[in-house]
Amino acid sequence: MYNTLIKNILIFIGLFLLQVLVFDNIRIGNYLHPVIYVLFVMILPFKTPNLRLVIDGFLIGMTIDIFDGTPGLNAAATVLIAYLRPYVIGFMTRKSELDEKDAPKVGIMGFPWFLVYSLILLLIHNFTLFLLEAFSFKLLGIVLLEVVISVPVSLFVILLISYLFKPIKKN
Amino acid sequence: MYNLLVFLKKYNAVLLFLLLEIICIILILNSLPYHNRKFVSISNSISGNLHSTSSNIGNYFTLKNENELLIYHNALLMNELEKYRYSVDTVRHDETFIYIPAHVISNSLNRVNNFILIDKGRLDGIETDMGVICDNGVVGKIVNVSNHYASVMSMLNLSSITSVRFISNQNIASVVWNGDSYMFSTVKDIPAHIQIEKGDTIVTSGYSNTFPAGIMVGTIEETTFDERSDFNAAKMRFSTDFSTLQYVYVVKNNFKAEIDSLCITH
Repeated sequence: MYNTLIKNILIFIGLFLLQVLVFDNIRIGNYLHPVIYVLFVMILPFKTPNLRLVIDGFLIGMTIDIFDGTPGLNAAATVLIAYLRPYVIGFMTRKSELDEKDAPKVGIMGFPWFLVYSLILLLIHNFTLFLLEAFSFKLLGIVLLEVVISVPVSLFVILLISYLFKPIKKN
Repeated sequence: MYNLLVFLKKYNAVLLFLLLEIICIILILNSLPYHNRKFVSISNSISGNLHSTSSNIGNYFTLKNENELLIYHNALLMNELEKYRYSVDTVRHDETFIYIPAHVISNSLNRVNNFILIDKGRLDGIETDMGVICDNGVVGKIVNVSNHYASVMSMLNLSSITSVRFISNQNIASVVWNGDSYMFSTVKDIPAHIQIEKGDTIVTSGYSNTFPAGIMVGTIEETTFDERSDFNAAKMRFSTDFSTLQYVYVVKNNFKAEIDSLCITH
């Protein structure tokens, strides 16, 4: 019980520092904003209550916001995907399968499943984030361009991180 | 009552989701006019330390360039000093502008509204609406001050508008940002009869009493002519390189209150 809590807190801090100190400083062109902290919400166990998901999403989004000076932006987008997460999982997986598996991680669910899963959540998250940031449909072209450029990069980094921390299988 | 409790228990996640989203939207809406950036003030004091540390480490990598720039700037100042040493005209001597050097500890380029965090605050004499410049040109305007830090609305902000003057013909125009690239901006309100060419230099007009007159802003990159309008627009290249910004000067106008009091009586 406490082990998982400490592990989650460490993942939280690790992803937060990576996002604020490394990925927020990546400047290639004007449209690339890699977003990796959403991985925290993505890999919470299947059995996490919806209430916890939404609260955790809010916490990590707001922490990023405090350090980026963008009140509510990241929090709004992350709360949205935290809320939609169970529906995306339910849409992609059979109920019986969920009872056997532990968490939506790449080592447990396999590469193709995790790729589609993180792509859907990332698309929703980034579109909401960039749209709220621009806060008008006038800039919809720029928003779509940002999504098209940022999502593949974020996805690549998220897959990379999840493979790095994939637990070694014991036979 | 019991039904209400059952309802709350059944839909607790949905309700919390909606509540949190509403809180977020309120926060976002409140932060839109840049003067009410209370949140930034709070987040400055929380995040200032972390950004300071990370920026301290980052500074070592650009030390050489910064040194060269400092030497160059020093030389410029020494030349200036030399000029005054032999100048006889010292009838009126009062400093209108004072420059407070500051260090950039966090900077953004690729948002639609960009802000810069500097490590000088109220205790160093910084107030809102002061101009911020660097060695290469104009940077922005102070929008929020805490005791030790201040946030600057950079020119890369949709709310930013700067009054400028063409060096070649002394005409006034204004510079706004279109949210596109951190290297370019738009010059608006150029009277249609003015001939502008690529490479024309643009400096601050000094009309806003935020910046002294004659601070470099940028050069014309591309001109666009609109036959139907009385005013033309042009694409401008910033003289300031926002991506490598490290040291800035906050401009304090000693007579701001006096000038403002005149403006109000009008």
